[in-house]
Amino acid sequence: MNVLEMDNIKKSFGSKVVLKDITLKVKKGEVVSIIGPSGSGKSTLLRCATFLEHIDNGEISYTGKKIVTSNAGSAVYPHKKELQQACSNFGLVFQNFNLFPHFSVMKNISDAPVVIQKRNKEEVYKEVRELLKKVGIEDKENAYPCELSGGQQQRVAIARALALKPKMLYFDEPTSALDPEITAEILRVLKSLAAEKMTMVIVTHEIDFARAVSDRVVFMDGGIIIEEGKPEDVIDNPGNERTKAFLKKLHI
Amino acid sequence: MDNTRIKKILYLFITAVFAGFIFAGSTCQAKQEFIVGFDAEFPPYGYMDENGDYTGFDLDLAEEVCKRNGWTLVRRPVKWDFKDSELETGAISCIWNGFTMNGRENEYTWSTPYVDNSQVVITRSNSGITALKDLSGKILAVQSDSSALAALEGESATDENKALAKSLKELQQVEDYNSAFMNLESGMVDAIAMDIGVAAYQLSSKGDEFIMLDERLSTEEYGIGFKLGNTELRDQVQVTLLEMLEDGTFGDIVKKWGLSDSACLSLSDTTYIDGGKVPMPGGTNLKNQDNANGKEDDSKEDENSQTGNIQSGAPKVKKLGVIKIIKQLLSGLASTAAIFIFTVLFSMPLGLVIAVARMSRFKIPQWIARIYISIMRGTPLMLQLFVVFFAPHYIFKIPTPPSYRFYAVIIGFSLNYAAYFAEIYRSGIQSIPQGQREAAQIMGYNRMQTFFRIIFPQMVKRVLPPVTNEVITLVKDTSLAFAISYAEMFTMAKQIAAAQTSLLPLFVAGVFYYVFNFIVAFLMERIEKRLDYYK
Repeated sequence: MNVLEMDNIKKSFGSKVVLKDITLKVKKGEVVSIIGPSGSGKSTLLRCATFLEHIDNGEISYTGKKIVTSNAGSAVYPHKKELQQACSNFGLVFQNFNLFPHFSVMKNISDAPVVIQKRNKEEVYKEVRELLKKVGIEDKENAYPCELSGGQQQRVAIARALALKPKMLYFDEPTSALDPEITAEILRVLKSLAAEKMTMVIVTHEIDFARAVSDRVVFMDGGIIIEEGKPEDVIDNPGNERTKAFLKKLHI
Repeated sequence: MDNTRIKKILYLFITAVFAGFIFAGSTCQAKQEFIVGFDAEFPPYGYMDENGDYTGFDLDLAEEVCKRNGWTLVRRPVKWDFKDSELETGAISCIWNGFTMNGRENEYTWSTPYVDNSQVVITRSNSGITALKDLSGKILAVQSDSSALAALEGESATDENKALAKSLKELQQVEDYNSAFMNLESGMVDAIAMDIGVAAYQLSSKGDEFIMLDERLSTEEYGIGFKLGNTELRDQVQVTLLEMLEDGTFGDIVKKWGLSDSACLSLSDTTYIDGGKVPMPGGTNLKNQDNANGKEDDSKEDENSQTGNIQSGAPKVKKLGVIKIIKQLLSGLASTAAIFIFTVLFSMPLGLVIAVARMSRFKIPQWIARIYISIMRGTPLMLQLFVVFFAPHYIFKIPTPPSYRFYAVIIGFSLNYAAYFAEIYRSGIQSIPQGQREAAQIMGYNRMQTFFRIIFPQMVKRVLPPVTNEVITLVKDTSLAFAISYAEMFTMAKQIAAAQTSLLPLFVAGVFYYVFNFIVAFLMERIEKRLDYYK
């Protein structure tokens, strides 16, 4: 079953076409990396998938349920309530984490499950502690985001997304704000999630990271998908000239 | 948790404040109120005595009139510039305050004259000015909208006075007589033109420093001014005054205030200046009337007799110590604190509503908020207070109870400050990164939850420094409440200063403001520190 289906997505900002015609399907338990040069539209694609941007045309479904439909050449969005409901399918870990600075680590992670999902507080707290252990910062539950390192904040962001029990996770440039040695630790966290069959879509420009973590790599440029396939195919034996040129640039 | 206890206390406090607010407005009025409007910086007719009570010749008369009619006397100091609006709206029953009839004959419904008054000129003893002609090329101070000003420049001014006014270097209008004397002492003006009674009072406390010129600018009469057409109340007061004249009470009060030379209430005035017939008290006895005015002998007094030693009978000024002044100002401080607390309480939430409207996606609330902010920031607070206080009467024809004065102050201040707070909040809200909203949106927070759980708490921390600024400005702005005659601390300080003919009360008020603001700043700093747990 496909957790995410994006069909013929089109998106422009003013006269600038960012996504020309993108179709992307993600199976349950699959880890997909989206790579490509900056300006290729990969971040916009992720923002469209998470409803932070509205697409101009195309269709978006989660777990087989159509959320955004296409009618007479333009996208139709459901009512606010339904859209909000659809958001519970996924979690998003932002590039700069976007933790709530006025909440402690515990509150950052537990607030939405308790307030939005109306779950039992004690239960949620217990779960949060387990999640913190999983991401390796069990001693930080009472700390505030400003007291944490970048890597630690990243883990809180991951735990926060997981606490809402989403069917899949999006990562927007998960390593770009981190030191290289911390990248390895985050990679470990992602791998352990992959081992638990968590469906993940990762936007990144770090080829090694993409290779190490993903089942499938999607290379985007100029608002379209140029090439996709297993990492060893796309990254090590690219078929397309543009993919080759991009990878060559990275390996100076 | 500790938090819930603080919340409980806060709720209790707010409830209590609101209860107090509502109660303050609904004080029962069993007896009819007689509200005398007066300028509290006009001794000996009406001023603040050394105990902090409003007193004076006119107020003594008014008190006796009320006693005899079973009314409750309300002493209402008014801002002199706005006395007509006060009378028009019924916020005061009459103007009874050494109120000159000449030149205003058709503007009020007058009692018969009860004091003969002259406009005189005071100057420093060493100024070299000994006659009116010496004033040529000099600076003369007058109170704004006073009889002295009318005598010099008004429509009915004599040609000589008009010429005199022209020959002056400058005719300087001042707010009150105390500042006039400060101007004179410091040499900023060369002379003051003022009512003789007030002049005598001032001279009695300043001694040899000043002299009064023998020449008079004009002679005139004081009456009690009622709202035009309000003959019923006027007649009732008139009859009572005449009764007091007959039984000698009037004369006693005249003697007490040393005004024997100028009191002129007479039973032989049988018509008002508007042509109406003066009602006579029952059992009229015309024989005693000269004695009744407190005069020492029967000989007919004329202008000349007034030029003599007027000071002789004027009451002596009792100088107050700092402690006494502080004690008196403390009661004014309560009014200042009330304005401050209620304004903060109402304007801060209102500002939030306006800020939200201002940032609305919808054009209509957005523009309403824009226009509101533009007007509130673009016009003087004093004018806004004035509009809030008088608009119900002049525009909507709604009668306003006397207690509305305090409400008007709070409404005016709250509306004004809400505009400033709204813009401060807006800057705070807009400074919060978009990512915070996006994170909340994806996690399923709706708009309200996002605002109150995520955005608002962060905004509070960011806006604290500018809010502190605004709150401190508010403490000092409270003195503007006197624009609509609400007597707060600074107004009282000015009144005491006038009665004391001294600057000390103003300095004491300054210290009070400083201490008040010091506490406010300290508390705000504490709140800032408490929110310092995150960056």
